Amino acid sequence: MNDLLKRLRIRLQPSAYRSIRTKFLVSFLIVTIIPLLSLGAMSYYQSAKVINSQFGKYGENAVAQLEQQTSSYLNRMNQTTETIYTYLLDPAWADLGDQPPSTYSDIMDKNDLESLLKALKTDRTTGIYIITRTGYYYGENNLDVSKLTAIPAWHTMPDSQSGKYWLGFYPQSHGMNDTADAGMPVLGLAVSINNPYGALKGSKILIEENAEELLHMFKLFENDTKAHLRINDSSGRVIYETAGAFASQSSDIVWNKTIAVNGWNIESRLPAASFYRSSGIIRSNTIIVATASCLLAFGLAYLFSSRFTVRIRRLRDAMQKVSFGKLHTRTQVEAKDELGVLDISFNNMVSGIQTLVGEIEQSERLKKEAELKAFHYQINPHLLFNTLNSIQWKARLQGAEDIRQMLYHLTKVLEGNLDISQEMIPLGSELKIIEHYLKVQEIRYGPVFTYKLECEEQLKRYLIPRMTLQPLFENIFFHGFEDGQGEIGLTIREAGNHLRLILSDNGAGIPAAKLERLLLPNTEKRKGRGGLGVQNANQKFKLHFGPQFGLNVQSIHGEGTTIIIEWPKKEENPHGNGNSD
Amino acid sequence: MKKKLTFILLTTVVSMAALTACGGNNESSGGNSAQSAGGKGSADVKKLRFATWDTGDALKIEQDIAKKFEADHPGTQVQVEAYADGFDQKLAAGFGATNPPDVMYMWDFPTYHRSLEPLNSYADGDKDLNKDDFYSGLFNYATIENNLYGIPAGFTTRVVYYNKKMFDDAGIAYPKDGWTWDDFQSAAQKLTDKSKKQYGFGVRAENDTYDLQGFVWSNGGSYISDDGKTIDGFMNSKETAGAIQMFGDMLKNGSAVLTGGKGQQSGEDIFKGGKIAMWESGIWPLESFKQAGIDVGTVEMPAFPGKPVKGVVAESALSIAKDSKQKELAWEFIKYYVSSEAIKMRVADLPVRVSVVSELKKDQDPLYKPYYTMLERSDNTPAFLLNDKWNEVNRQLSAAVEAVVHGSNAQDALNQAVKDSERYLK
Repeated sequence: MNDLLKRLRIRLQPSAYRSIRTKFLVSFLIVTIIPLLSLGAMSYYQSAKVINSQFGKYGENAVAQLEQQTSSYLNRMNQTTETIYTYLLDPAWADLGDQPPSTYSDIMDKNDLESLLKALKTDRTTGIYIITRTGYYYGENNLDVSKLTAIPAWHTMPDSQSGKYWLGFYPQSHGMNDTADAGMPVLGLAVSINNPYGALKGSKILIEENAEELLHMFKLFENDTKAHLRINDSSGRVIYETAGAFASQSSDIVWNKTIAVNGWNIESRLPAASFYRSSGIIRSNTIIVATASCLLAFGLAYLFSSRFTVRIRRLRDAMQKVSFGKLHTRTQVEAKDELGVLDISFNNMVSGIQTLVGEIEQSERLKKEAELKAFHYQINPHLLFNTLNSIQWKARLQGAEDIRQMLYHLTKVLEGNLDISQEMIPLGSELKIIEHYLKVQEIRYGPVFTYKLECEEQLKRYLIPRMTLQPLFENIFFHGFEDGQGEIGLTIREAGNHLRLILSDNGAGIPAAKLERLLLPNTEKRKGRGGLGVQNANQKFKLHFGPQFGLNVQSIHGEGTTIIIEWPKKEENPHGNGNSD
Repeated sequence: MKKKLTFILLTTVVSMAALTACGGNNESSGGNSAQSAGGKGSADVKKLRFATWDTGDALKIEQDIAKKFEADHPGTQVQVEAYADGFDQKLAAGFGATNPPDVMYMWDFPTYHRSLEPLNSYADGDKDLNKDDFYSGLFNYATIENNLYGIPAGFTTRVVYYNKKMFDDAGIAYPKDGWTWDDFQSAAQKLTDKSKKQYGFGVRAENDTYDLQGFVWSNGGSYISDDGKTIDGFMNSKETAGAIQMFGDMLKNGSAVLTGGKGQQSGEDIFKGGKIAMWESGIWPLESFKQAGIDVGTVEMPAFPGKPVKGVVAESALSIAKDSKQKELAWEFIKYYVSSEAIKMRVADLPVRVSVVSELKKDQDPLYKPYYTMLERSDNTPAFLLNDKWNEVNRQLSAAVEAVVHGSNAQDALNQAVKDSERYLK
C-alpha cells in the first residue's frame, strides 16, 4: 500500500501545477485508506488469532476424541479379556485342556466357556478365541489357527510374553474360508494365560474388534486437519501411521495424547504451513476486500472530484473567453451551492459589463454623429447671419417693419440654434429663444394664441440641452394648431434635485397609434414629418443625463398634448459650460 | 465539505460491511450444511420392517420380493433387516424394547409366541390366503394352544445328497428310496479312501439336535414323551442312543469324517470339493451343489431294518409382532410373501403351496421328489413343541451328541444329559 502511495506521489510530483482534482484524489485516498488499512489489519489479526487458537483447540479436542474413542475400544477389549481371565481362574474349569474335549462333561465345560465368549461378543467384536498351545481353540468354529501368523504382531509376539500384548491394527484374514489379503481391519489384543492353578496355562486369549469405524475416524481426522497421525506403543512400535511420506520438523504443530490403558501414544503432527493456512486465507481475503474498497474509493473520489472540478474548470474557461472579449459568454448554473452562486455572480457581472460596453458604444457613436452634423451645420453660419442682417437692413430701408422684426427674431432663434459651442445652456437662454420664436409666429398668424410661462427666476440658471424646447413648440404650431390658434402653457418647477417641465397645448393632439411609436429609437428612419423634434429632444436628455431621463408625452386626440420632462438640476460652471468639449 | 465527509463515511461503512460479511459467511456455512442433512420427514410413506435370518442369495431374493410389494403398494417402504447370525439376539432385543420389526421370520414359536400377534382371525376365511392350499401339517408348527402365530413361508425336509461321480468311480449303484442304514454304511465304507482324504459320509461336529430327530424317530426312539413331561427313558432310550451312536461308530471306523468343527471345513464345502460322497441336509445347499458342478442326486433317508422311515420338517413362517403399529399392512405383506408369485421367486425353500408344487411338477422331479416323500413321513411332533423348557434341556442333549461324535459312548452321555436336565422339567 505504501509503495502504491509513493508511486502515486512520484507520478503526481513532476508537474508543478497540481489540479484540484489531483489534490482531491490524494486527500480522498489518504482519508479512506488509513481507516481501511487499519480496520483490515485489525480484523485480520483478530480473526487470525481467534482462528488459530480455535483450530489449535479443535485439533487438540479432535486428538483427545481419538484418544477417547481408541481408549473406549481398548478398555472394552481389556475388560473382556479380564472377564475371561477371571473366569478361567476358577479351579472348577481346571479340566479345560489343550485337546478337543470328547466327554460329555468336558463338552459341557467347553460349551459353557464358549457361551461366555459368545455372550461377551458385542456388535463390534469380530472374534473372541482362546488358543491353546496345541492349536486347539475355544470360540466360534471359524478360526484357522494356522493363519494366525498372518497377523504381523502375532508373529513378533515374544514367546515369553506374559500378560497383555496389543496386536494393533491388521486385516482379519484368519477365518476358515478367508483368503490371505481380503479382510476387514480389526484391532487385536492377545493375553497370555499364566495362572499356575487355573485352566489353560500358556494359552492365549485373542480378542478382535472391528476397527473400521475407528480407522474411519482416523481418516476423517487426517482429512479434516491434514495432520500426520502416528500411534506408538510404549516400546516405540508403530501401531498406526498415516499413509504417505512425512518428514517431521521442529516447527510442526504437535498434539499429543497418551492412552492410559496401554500407554499408546497418539501423536498428531501438522506442518506449520498447513496450520496457518486458514489465517492465510483470511489475510488474502482481507487484502482483496481492502484493495477492492480502495479501488472503489478511488473511483468514487474520481467521479466526485471530476463532478466538482469540472464546474470550476467550466467557470475558468468562461472567464478566459470573457477575457478574450467574448462578452456573450455565460456559464451554466448547475446547483444551488457556493459554485452556483459563483456562476450566477459571474453571469451577472459579464452581462453588466456587456450592457455598459453597449451603452458606451451607443453614446460614442451618437456623439460622433452629432459632431459630424455639427461640422456640417457650422460651415457657414456667418454667411447666413450676414445675409439675414443685409435683408433686415434692406427691409428697414424699405420700411417693411414686419419683415425686419421677423428677421430680427429669426436671427435670434437661429443664433441659439446654430451656436453649437455650447451643448448645455441655461434655462433662461432657452426660454428667450422660445420667446423670439413665438414673436415670429405672432407676426405670421397675428395674436391668435396665448403663451403662459410659469418659471421662477432662480430656476433659469439651471442648464438644459440646447435647442430642445424650440422643436417642441414648432411641432405645436405645425401639427397642433390650425392657423396658429390655441393656448400654450409652459411650467417649470423644482422637484427635489430635479427640474420638472410641463409643456401643454390644446391643439389637435396626437393619434394613439402615432403616440406609441413616437419615442421609439427607429423612428429616425421614418419618412414624413412630425415627431422628429420630440425624438431629438428625447435623445438629448438621455445622452446628457442618462437613459432614465427623457420625454413623457401624453396626448388625447382632439384635446391637446402634454409633454413632461424631468432632468437633474445642474448649474453652469463659473469656468464655463459644465458639459464642455 | 459536508458532501466529502458523507462520502468518506460511506466508503468506510461499505468496506467494513464487506469485511464483516466475509467473516460472517465463513462461520455460517458450516451450520447450514449440517442442517440440510436432517430434512424432510416422510410422513406419507409407511415403513414396514421385515427381519430375516437369511444372508447371501436368499436375502437378495427377499429384497426383490419386498421391492415388488412396494411397487404394488405405493406409499409403502419395506425395510429388510438382515439379522443373520444375530437373529435371536436382535429379535429378543427388539421385543424387549417394544420396538420389534413388524414382520419377521419365525420358527421358535414356543419361545416367542407371547410377543406375536395371533393370526387366526386374519387367516381364517381369507380367500387370498387360501389356507387349504398349504401342505397340511405346516400350520401345526406355528400353532400354540390353538392360536396360530405364523403363516408358513417355506419348509424343507431332510434327504441324503450323494455325489453320482464318486458312486460311479467306486462302482456302486446309486441309492434308492427304501434303502437301509446297512446299505448306507456299507456304501460309505466302500466310498472311503483315506489316502485321498475321501470319505463316504460327513458328520457334523456340532449337530442341531432338532435335525437328528428324524433318525431317532426312524429308530423308534424319541427325545421326550408324547405328553412332553418326561425325558428319562426317552432321551436316553436304547433306540435314541442307538441312532446317535451309529454316527459315532461311522466316525470311529473311518467311513465318515467330522466336519464343521474347530479347524475343519464345513460338510457342504467338503461335499462340493468332492471329498465326501454322501451328505445329509435340507434343501438349502442344493443350488450351491449344482453351481459347484457336482452331479448330485437326492434320496430319502435310509430306514432302520424293519422300522418306518420318519422325517422332520424344518419350517420357516412369517409372524407379526404384537407391538407392530401396522398390522394390516404387515398382513398384506405376509399374504404377498406366501403368494404363488413370491413362492416361485424363492428357490431356497420348498414351496408351501400344493398348487405351486403341482404347477411346477416339483413332486415329479427326481431331485425334488425325496423332499415330498420325506414330508409325508414327517408326522411326529418335534420336542420343542412339546415342552417350553426344551431349550434348557437341549443344551445337555447337544453336549451329549457332541460327546458322541467325539468318541464318547452314546448311552453314557445321554444318561448324564438326562440326569443334568431333569431339574428343568420340574
